[in-house]
Amino acid sequence: MEIIERYVYAVTQLLPPSQREDIAKELRGLIEDMLDERVQDGEITEKHVEEVLVELGEPRKLANKYRGMKRYLVGPELFDHYVMVLKIALISTSVVIGVSFIISIILDPPSILQSFISFIISLVTGLPMAFGWTTFAFAIIQFAGNTHLKRKELQPKRRWSPSDLPPVPHPKGRVKRGEAITGIIFYIICITVFVFSGDYLGVWLFDAGKFKEVIPFFNEEYYGYYVLFILLIFGFGMIKECLKMIYGRWTMKLVLFTLVVNIISIIGLLFIIAEPNIWNPNFMAQLVDSGLLTAHSETYTTIRSVWEQTTLWLLILFLFALVWDIADGFIRVRKGR
Amino acid sequence: MRDTNEHLDKLMQELRRGTLTIGVLSQLYEPQYGYSLVSLLEGKGFPVEAGTLYPLLRRLEKQGLLESQWDTNETRPRKYYLLSESGKLVFDQLVAEWEDMVGNLDNLLKSKGGL
Repeated sequence: MEIIERYVYAVTQLLPPSQREDIAKELRGLIEDMLDERVQDGEITEKHVEEVLVELGEPRKLANKYRGMKRYLVGPELFDHYVMVLKIALISTSVVIGVSFIISIILDPPSILQSFISFIISLVTGLPMAFGWTTFAFAIIQFAGNTHLKRKELQPKRRWSPSDLPPVPHPKGRVKRGEAITGIIFYIICITVFVFSGDYLGVWLFDAGKFKEVIPFFNEEYYGYYVLFILLIFGFGMIKECLKMIYGRWTMKLVLFTLVVNIISIIGLLFIIAEPNIWNPNFMAQLVDSGLLTAHSETYTTIRSVWEQTTLWLLILFLFALVWDIADGFIRVRKGR
Repeated sequence: MRDTNEHLDKLMQELRRGTLTIGVLSQLYEPQYGYSLVSLLEGKGFPVEAGTLYPLLRRLEKQGLLESQWDTNETRPRKYYLLSESGKLVFDQLVAEWEDMVGNLDNLLKSKGGL
């Protein structure tokens, strides 16, 4: 009977491959036994088969009973946080994309159609990206948590005792929810701006009150190169903020994780800076061409030296921020005790 | 009234689920395959759905309380389950606990309302 095979397949399909064959064999035997009992020595009809399968119930439910425990990509403990971060991610991505659309039509009304097309494209690529990365981050947190729990369970006879309870954190050791959310929004805005509106990062030129063009800070040819590292740095930063929110308190582990993330960020940043071509090589010349600056004037020299030292200062600023981030976390762990 | 019935159904389900394992173990001093066990338990007034029993047998086997063997000599291959040595030990302890529980619960039920 084909329908029996369909049923067996539907059940075993939902089970781990290693158990499928054995369970399939047993299930077939069971169905035949049940049929035999129903018809005794008569003929097996489709109606009998249907009755038996209905009695066994929905394949999904039967498979669940075989599996015993439910498995999650993002489990119920994390789900509320997940939904919240997902909302933040989707909303801020849409807002940034929407705002940059509005800016581009204000600046350049005639090419509204083109702006609109790129707006749609940004939405179609950006929203799944936000969704995907958020889910990915939470799946990793979930996976790490699972392995941690399993290892704990394997430890022989380790009983939970009330002294395991962590102390209620001192207000200074608590992670302020708003802080974490602000951090997440900040990272998302940065990512979206860099990925989708990179062309607007630069000096905006206006001609008689009307937008003319942008003198870009970055070298467009190397765009892909630094976007990769920016995604990496900000992506890890986002995971860090999510963890803060989930833990709800500053712990040594969190500080260690921050340390690792920040070291990765610094390495990423060094990679970006190691490539001097990321900056627009003609920036100064373009400024002069646009008439904003006169060559060899005093302002020119000042701006030029600022421009040339940007890399260094940015690096120092960034390093300072990352070190401060770790130190701050460390102090909070101390105070939270 | 319908509500009470629903609650009763749920509570009965929980009660049955709790006693299922001990009932199943009790019948496995002799090897049984899944469906023979279904009929056996039903015949003794302890009906269990096949869809519940089969996964349970597997779980108990995985926990080491049961041993299993495929018998391919009959018309259709059947997987026979039997109490393992540790399964017998666990079952004995379970029975002792169960009797304790029955006694204590009986006492509770006799003194309804703490009288």
